Amino acid sequence: MENHSNMDQVFEKLGELKSFFVFGQKVVPVIQSIIDFMRDVVPLMEYVNNSIQESASKIPKAASQINSVTNATEMATSEILDIVDAMSMDLSKIKNELADLKNGFFNQRVALESYGNQHPNLNGQFEALQSGLSIDELETKVVSLEEIVKKIEGDSNNITLSLQVQDITSQQLASVNHLIQSVQKRLSKLMNDLSKKGPVDVSELEQEDENTRSATFNPDARYEKSPDKQELANELFNTGQKTSQDEIDKLFAK
Amino acid sequence: MKRVILVADDSPTIRKFVSVALTVKGYEIISCSDGMEALEKIPNNKIDLVITDLNMPNVDGFQLISTIRGNDELRELPIIVLSSLGSTEDIQRGLECGANSYLIKPFDPKRVIYEVSKYLN
Repeated sequence: MENHSNMDQVFEKLGELKSFFVFGQKVVPVIQSIIDFMRDVVPLMEYVNNSIQESASKIPKAASQINSVTNATEMATSEILDIVDAMSMDLSKIKNELADLKNGFFNQRVALESYGNQHPNLNGQFEALQSGLSIDELETKVVSLEEIVKKIEGDSNNITLSLQVQDITSQQLASVNHLIQSVQKRLSKLMNDLSKKGPVDVSELEQEDENTRSATFNPDARYEKSPDKQELANELFNTGQKTSQDEIDKLFAK
Repeated sequence: MKRVILVADDSPTIRKFVSVALTVKGYEIISCSDGMEALEKIPNNKIDLVITDLNMPNVDGFQLISTIRGNDELRELPIIVLSSLGSTEDIQRGLECGANSYLIKPFDPKRVIYEVSKYLN
C-alpha cells in the first residue's frame, strides 16, 4: 500500500518535470530572443551614452560663446553710447554758439537801426550797408542750423533708445544659458544613471554661469517701443500727472 | 549742490544709459549692481532719489523698495522703477511695494529726466 503511494508521488513529480521541460522548450526561444535583443541594444546604449557625453561636454563651450556674445555687445553698446554722449555735448556747444550768434545779430540790428535814426541823411548809404551786412539772411541760416541741431538731438535720443536692445537681448541670452545649463545637468544625471563612467564635470559650466550677470533675467523681456505698457504703468500709478510721450517730447523741444 | 541719484541695475548698459542721461542734466549718479550694494551705499551717501531695476541678484528691486519704505529715515525717498517687467501684476506689485513711478524698458531717456525732475525740481 505504501509502495503504491510512493509510485504515485514519483509519477506526479515526473509529470511536473515533464511540464517544466515543455515550459522550458517554450521559454528557451524567448530567452534567446531577449539575449539577441540585449546583444543589439548594448552597443546602441553605448553609442547613445557616448553621444550624450559628447553633447554634454560641448555645452560649456556653447554657454561660454553665449557669454562672449553678451560681453561683446555690452562693450560695443558702451562704446556707441560714449560716442553719442560726446555728440550730445558737442551739439549742446553748437546750440549755445548759435544762440550767441542770434543774440549778436539782434544787437547788430539794434545798433544799425540806432545808427540809421541818428543819421537820417545818408543818401541811400544806410540801405546799402544794411544790404551788405545781410543780417536777415544770416539769421535765417542760423535758425535753419538750429533746426538741424534739434533733429540730430532727436536722432541721438533715438539711438540711445534703440541701444537698449542690448539689455533686452542679454536677458534673453541669459535665459537661453539657464536652459542650456538645465539640459546639461539633466544629461549629466542621465549619463550617471546609464553608465558607471560618472557624470560630466559641470564645474566649468558653473564657473561660466558665475561669470554671467548672476542669472537674473526676465525670460519674457521684449524689445517693444510701443507706449502701451508705459501708459498702463502711468494709469496704475495714477500720480495725477499722467504725461504722454508727445507732451514730454514737446517739453524737451523747447 | 548737486542732487544725488542712486541707480541700482545689474545691467552695466542700463546703468550707463541712466548715468549719461542724468549727468548731463547736472545730477550726481551713484551706481550699484544689485539691491544689496544699494542698501550698503544708501546710509553712507545723501541720496535724493533712487532708480531701481526689479530683477537683480542678492536683493531684488521689490525687496530694496520695501526695505527703504520700512526705514523711518528713508520712508519719503522718491523711488523710480526701471524694469522690463511690464505686466499688470508686476506694475501693481511695484506700486504696492511703494515705488513712486514705473518706467518700462526700453525707456526714452527724456522720460527718465522728466520723472526725476518731477521729484527733485
